[in-house]
Amino acid sequence: MVIKVEDALRADRLTELKHPDEAAGVPAVARKEGRAPQIVPDANQQTPAVGQRVTRPDSRPHITGQTRYIDDLSFPNMLHMKILRSEHAHARIRAIDVSEAEKMPGVVATLTGREIPVNSFGPSYQDQPVLADEKVRHMGDGVVAVAAETEQLAQDALARIKVEYEPLPLVLDPLEAMNDDAPKIHGDSNIYATKAIRKGDVESALAEADLVMEGRFSTQMVEHVPMEPHATIAMWEPDGRLKILSSLGRITLGRADVARTLDMPVNRIQIVGTIVGGNFGGKNEITTEPVLALLARKTGRPVKGVFTRQDEFVSSTTRHPFIMDYRTGVRKDGRILARKVRIVADGGAYCSWSETTLGKGAILSVGPYRIDHLEVKAYAVYTNKTTCGAMRGFGAPQVCFGYESHMDDIARELGIDPLEIRLRNAFDEGSSSPTGQVLHSVAVKESLETVAHRVGWREQTS
Amino acid sequence: MRHRGRGIACMWYPIGFTVAANPSAAVVKVNEDGSATVLTGTVETGQGALTVLGQIAAEELGIAADDVHLVSGDTDATPMDTGAIASRTTYVTGNAIQMAAAEAKKILFEVAAPMLGVRPEQLEARDRRIQVIGFPQKNLPIGEVAHHAQVVMGRPPLGSASYNPPTVAMDPETGQGKPFSTYVYAAQVAEVEVDDETGEVEVLRIVAAHDCGTPINPTLVEGQVEGGISMGVGLALQEEILFDAEGRQINPNLTNYIMPTSLDMPEVEVDIVKNYDPTGPFGAKGVGEPTSVPTAAAIANAIYDAVGVRIHSLPATSEKVLMALREKRAMQKQIPAE
Repeated sequence: MVIKVEDALRADRLTELKHPDEAAGVPAVARKEGRAPQIVPDANQQTPAVGQRVTRPDSRPHITGQTRYIDDLSFPNMLHMKILRSEHAHARIRAIDVSEAEKMPGVVATLTGREIPVNSFGPSYQDQPVLADEKVRHMGDGVVAVAAETEQLAQDALARIKVEYEPLPLVLDPLEAMNDDAPKIHGDSNIYATKAIRKGDVESALAEADLVMEGRFSTQMVEHVPMEPHATIAMWEPDGRLKILSSLGRITLGRADVARTLDMPVNRIQIVGTIVGGNFGGKNEITTEPVLALLARKTGRPVKGVFTRQDEFVSSTTRHPFIMDYRTGVRKDGRILARKVRIVADGGAYCSWSETTLGKGAILSVGPYRIDHLEVKAYAVYTNKTTCGAMRGFGAPQVCFGYESHMDDIARELGIDPLEIRLRNAFDEGSSSPTGQVLHSVAVKESLETVAHRVGWREQTS
Repeated sequence: MRHRGRGIACMWYPIGFTVAANPSAAVVKVNEDGSATVLTGTVETGQGALTVLGQIAAEELGIAADDVHLVSGDTDATPMDTGAIASRTTYVTGNAIQMAAAEAKKILFEVAAPMLGVRPEQLEARDRRIQVIGFPQKNLPIGEVAHHAQVVMGRPPLGSASYNPPTVAMDPETGQGKPFSTYVYAAQVAEVEVDDETGEVEVLRIVAAHDCGTPINPTLVEGQVEGGISMGVGLALQEEILFDAEGRQINPNLTNYIMPTSLDMPEVEVDIVKNYDPTGPFGAKGVGEPTSVPTAAAIANAIYDAVGVRIHSLPATSEKVLMALREKRAMQKQIPAE
């Protein structure tokens, strides 16, 4: 893309924009007392539009409770779906008996994994069944879905379903899962993704360092906890097209996944992404959409499925726990010469976005620092736990905790101020990234100086 | 006794997918009164993306945010979009919308040029007008041009475009390549108080400076930073899904999985670092995910500064901090000299 001079000039105007009140010279007193509106033009009506503190068109309905989320929507004859989840973290499914549940008044249909035309999905590898059919790999695996006249009837019916399991040995610790003799969750290895970054000669550079620091850092599994849980309504239109209203954040790819699992042409499916009550990465792939579609087809009625908070915790994706080993060689003046990083990401039972999270985490794990000699090795590992997937930061909060804790340890060992050691190593405009990319519009030092200035970092020693 | 400490952390974060194609497409229609309708396949997930995207379309067309309406999130009605993921919406979808708006604007210019007696390339769109560059008094209201284009000339001003960030595949052995088109940067400082009798950590203040290129809407940037910090505080101190030996979650509810509430939130001060990325729409990059990246590291470093214990595993619960303090005190006891 060509850099236009007028764009660059405009940048100055854009970044120097003040609050509209301030820009219009409204006295602070008037602003506080709310007398400004007569004088201050509405930001939504201003040109140029970029840089304006425009208010969101959806803020008023959100605040006044008029926003309609999926759970607020209802259609004539709509049924409600609930899912029976696994009783074991790792087991073979021997038999499923839904006959008692189906006899219950108000229960209209059930669905098992074997009824799904293509019972697998996943953004990198299609290793996840929509409903588990042969094997369950964690406690959140759905096994049977029930559609009933009310949510409560659907919930009650779950207790009448009999599933016979053959428990299998399980593995919960990602480091144990990497051992050859660990129980295998899919195929013949639990390591399903590896990433490597190599640059320079890390061993020689470590040998030349004045100090070599080591540290292990680890992070936990957390949930996105959106206020609105996953919610979907599926219905078949009279012309035979499938319509899905969903809290999905990625409708184009969601439609492709639904088409694949249902073995249907893409143009016969409409997905409407409704107003989403929080996503944070957790609503980036399909969950129950194909199940609801098939139950709607079986019953000829719209079917709604809304996760409970417990469903949200146990069956939706979570943030990967990382185990990170750092080894860094530095000069006495704080310049980093070499860094080795090893990362193990606990991916839980299915790949989901682990492969890509691992890639991003591996690249970012070096930190925003100029380091010529590098070696990063990262592994994603299956365990019989809740699936880890996309979550705000995608591996970055984990590795940032690693490289920045490690950085302070190095600074303390060398007797250098934590701000100064970062400034001595931070990327500049044109620096080479760990993957050898020449970086542009770099602002690490500016960011550090901005926070340092605001807190008076250099004025007070702690 | 409560001890104060401060910690700093910085980070970098990429915009868009790692190497893999992640295009967005957009359609921009200028209506006969000069207002505009944008079709986008992204979904508003609460971050204010549609507002920002509307501002990008408005800027290109020289109109105001309220002059633009966005139709989104319907696979039947909107063009493909890789979706609200990877902090990519402002940058990738924004570029597509800016390009589509430029296409629509081209038609407006072609229609306006003979009306103003100039060539199309001599025109600009500004303040709801199509005007001659350097001679702003020679202008026509955009609504008049749009009406003329559609009703008289039979050329409805609309445009469509798609954008995919340029990347270079990474070498599988060395990882060398250009996995992302651009990155954003940030730093945060946390000020904490640690109680050495209970291990409790209270975050008093977080100061955050984030680069997002041009802030298309500074209010929404600040909102993202504040929200990201609340997630960062949860990651640092409280949140953790726990399992029993059978692999069952033991706290799958908000009674036992403790998230920060408004009462747990520290004072938050946000600075937007001045920057401009020539590859983004009007210099913009993104801000969604990075806001939650450095918080936990800054808090962990502040805990060390306060009480001299290094937390190696998150979350830094009171129990964990207290155990570390006990261990430190035990190590400090000297064996008496003979």
